[in-house]
Amino acid sequence: MLLKSVFLKTLRDYRVAILGWGIGMGLVVVSPMASVSALVTTPQAREQLVSLAASFAWNADAIAVDTIGGYATFKIGIFIFLIVIWPLLAGSRMLRGEEDRGSMDVLLSLPRPRLRVAIEKLAAMWIALFAMGVLIGLLAFAGGKQFGADFGLGGGLLFGLNLALTCAVFGGLALLISQFTQERGPAAGWTAALLLIFIVLDMIHRVVSGTEWISRLSPIYYYNLSSKPLVPGHGADAGAMLVQLALAALLSGAAVWLFVRRDVGGTVPLPRWLRLPERRPSRALPVGDWSLRSVYARNLGTIAMPTLWWTLLIAGWAGWTAYVVQLMETRLSTLLSNSPAFSNLIKNLGGADASINAGFLSAMYIFLPLFLMAFAVTQVNRWSADEQDGRLDLVLAAQQPRLGVLLGRFAALATATVVIAVITLAVSAAASAAAGLSLNAGNLVAATLGMIPLGLLIAAIGYLASGWLRTAADTGLLSFVLAAWFFISFIGPELKLPDATLRLSAFYYYGTPLLHGLSTTSVVEVVAVTVLALGLGTLRFMRKDIAV
Amino acid sequence: MPAIIEVEGLTKSYGSKRGIANVSFSVDEGEVFGFLGPNGAGKTTTIRVLMALLHADSGTARIAGLDCWKQSLEIKRLIGYMPGEPALDPNLTGGQILEYFANLRGGVDQSYLKQLIQRFDLDTSRKFRQYSTGNKRKVVLIQAFMHRPRLLILDEPTSGLDPLNQQEFDHMVKEAREEGRTIFLSSHVLSEVEKTCNRVGIIRDGSLVRIGDVAEVKAIKRYEITITFSSAVPAETFKTLEGVTDVEALDHGHAVRLAMQGSADAVIKAAARYPVVSLTSYEPSLEDIFLRYYEGDGVAAKETSGVA
Repeated sequence: MLLKSVFLKTLRDYRVAILGWGIGMGLVVVSPMASVSALVTTPQAREQLVSLAASFAWNADAIAVDTIGGYATFKIGIFIFLIVIWPLLAGSRMLRGEEDRGSMDVLLSLPRPRLRVAIEKLAAMWIALFAMGVLIGLLAFAGGKQFGADFGLGGGLLFGLNLALTCAVFGGLALLISQFTQERGPAAGWTAALLLIFIVLDMIHRVVSGTEWISRLSPIYYYNLSSKPLVPGHGADAGAMLVQLALAALLSGAAVWLFVRRDVGGTVPLPRWLRLPERRPSRALPVGDWSLRSVYARNLGTIAMPTLWWTLLIAGWAGWTAYVVQLMETRLSTLLSNSPAFSNLIKNLGGADASINAGFLSAMYIFLPLFLMAFAVTQVNRWSADEQDGRLDLVLAAQQPRLGVLLGRFAALATATVVIAVITLAVSAAASAAAGLSLNAGNLVAATLGMIPLGLLIAAIGYLASGWLRTAADTGLLSFVLAAWFFISFIGPELKLPDATLRLSAFYYYGTPLLHGLSTTSVVEVVAVTVLALGLGTLRFMRKDIAV
Repeated sequence: MPAIIEVEGLTKSYGSKRGIANVSFSVDEGEVFGFLGPNGAGKTTTIRVLMALLHADSGTARIAGLDCWKQSLEIKRLIGYMPGEPALDPNLTGGQILEYFANLRGGVDQSYLKQLIQRFDLDTSRKFRQYSTGNKRKVVLIQAFMHRPRLLILDEPTSGLDPLNQQEFDHMVKEAREEGRTIFLSSHVLSEVEKTCNRVGIIRDGSLVRIGDVAEVKAIKRYEITITFSSAVPAETFKTLEGVTDVEALDHGHAVRLAMQGSADAVIKAAARYPVVSLTSYEPSLEDIFLRYYEGDGVAAKETSGVA
């Protein structure tokens, strides 16, 4: 049934994503709802929550943040870039991915116009986004009901629809850019870069008055205009939604128009001055290239670019939080002293109850190992994909021991995690010094370098699981483990989970290094489990059939 | 010559899916051995077991007296390998790939490597993903030959190569043979194996059905000739001729389709007595040959014992 047309086949390809991404993002919307009532137990706490949120108003609209809908809207506004990841990848791969694989040639050999193929694929992506929006809206409504919010089903669905429209804009943008790139990776990369620029453009009018005209150039501006259906007294902005719809249609339409006219497997020709210099055929060999000297070096070369991007994220997050925490000290102090719930929240996140600045920063730094572990998951995904796609066959045939191939890969990942951690340490130290924030140097070293064992732990577990699981299942398992660990450490104490359960989370062993340093015992325990997982993974890899 | 490859009772299954069953053969040092079989017959599975990429369920496989699984590293020093479906890092150029594998092998003779690149006229500056299928195979073929291995294991090496490059490949095989190196190549094209190899093993449905000198392949080689005449010709004319195994009259006697084995000399001479409009010869696929040759009579099983 689902193989009857290009449209249905594409929709079939999206079915897991619709459920996974829709429910996942729905839960992201619902999760902040759970904490609102506990955050505003006293009028002072409510006032300070509003005031604290206002400190972030440069990033997202802080409207009625002391209500369930307002708080959820505010949080999603900050993390909008997360929601847009799937459409960005789907848009860049929709046509270009098929061309990369060579399957577009076969598809277009059918007696079916190219325009129709493109439109069917595009329609499937839009339907998938719409379905995700509905799921997000339903979950937002259910979450609101559960926690006593005062918005209805219509509000939830409009909220989801607005998100879907924003996603369609960036999906369309990625699709358009992919007409100019030979591969889908650069299309996704350029779209991600534009997303960041658009987020910054939207921020400008929040910081500098009289610059709204600049922000109007950003699709994020229109997302924010119509993102308030969950906020009491506010609703969706039909005009802004229409602008997003028109933008999505324009970008996607332009992409399809170009696709119909260009060579399959080729790109839309750029103006001469934008083209790279023409490559001349050559028979030369890159003798002396350091990245080709060994399995370790090759993997280090491969991992270099992702490491750069993740370093920007992780070190950027660390530096930014270290810089702004000093500026929010007074508001945080009042909020913490008046809201036991907020105080607990910060404590659960690793903030404990020491000095306000270090406490809040410690809570923010729990995201560092989380991000680093997410980076490790992406790299483990490449490992299992390499095996599954047969790329290990020739390496293993080139007199490389299996042990060496696996450990070379792991060592490259370990090197990358160390680089990320060291740069994060340097950026944190520089940012805190620039803001005049006084932090214990030893603890700062512990908080940043202490995330390395956690990154390696999830990687080792991933390598172990890849001995049995295929790429998608391995990545799914690791993502689940990561989410479960975060849930246990973040929500677990509130749910009074027993200590034995809390110990199941890797974050438990990270502790509160910015406040109390690293526990040697905890580090040893994490390293021991990592070595055990890596050892078992290596044993399995040495015995298993490759790419079966 | 001592055997460089010794396979005894090798069995490998993928759960419920068939792999290979009780495969036994040996290849002498210096031989060019063709491993022939239709698609899905078990050629690649056998090769991947030899390369220690798969662990056999039972049986033994030895190369140069070394166990393929337990001593795989020592064995791989002796081998140049070309997989059937070359998968390499798509973002590396051909040159980077060759340099990388040369480094993994502890260095190779650069002048020989450059010579191979020249012989195959490979543009090394293109990314692997940008290569055509034929060029991808050239990269993988060069990396298999570049360290002058004692044994070459090549899985369908000429598939996707143009005739010029196939010719170059034939020369390289000839040179390797003259240098005393052993080549184990798989193929599903009968004439290719016939042209290149000394001995042949035929695998079908996971079992080795025949093994012997390349001359034995000719015994099963069948082909068809269709002759069109300007007037009707009695089909009986061809029935008793040497090499003809079957005759079918077409187009009310204006054409005949002959199933052939061996020389066509008698047929050509007989046809020349009539006004011939056209003559076409067709070599059926290996699977077609097998279907006819082993038509459900269990012959395959009887012949498996091998004549190695």
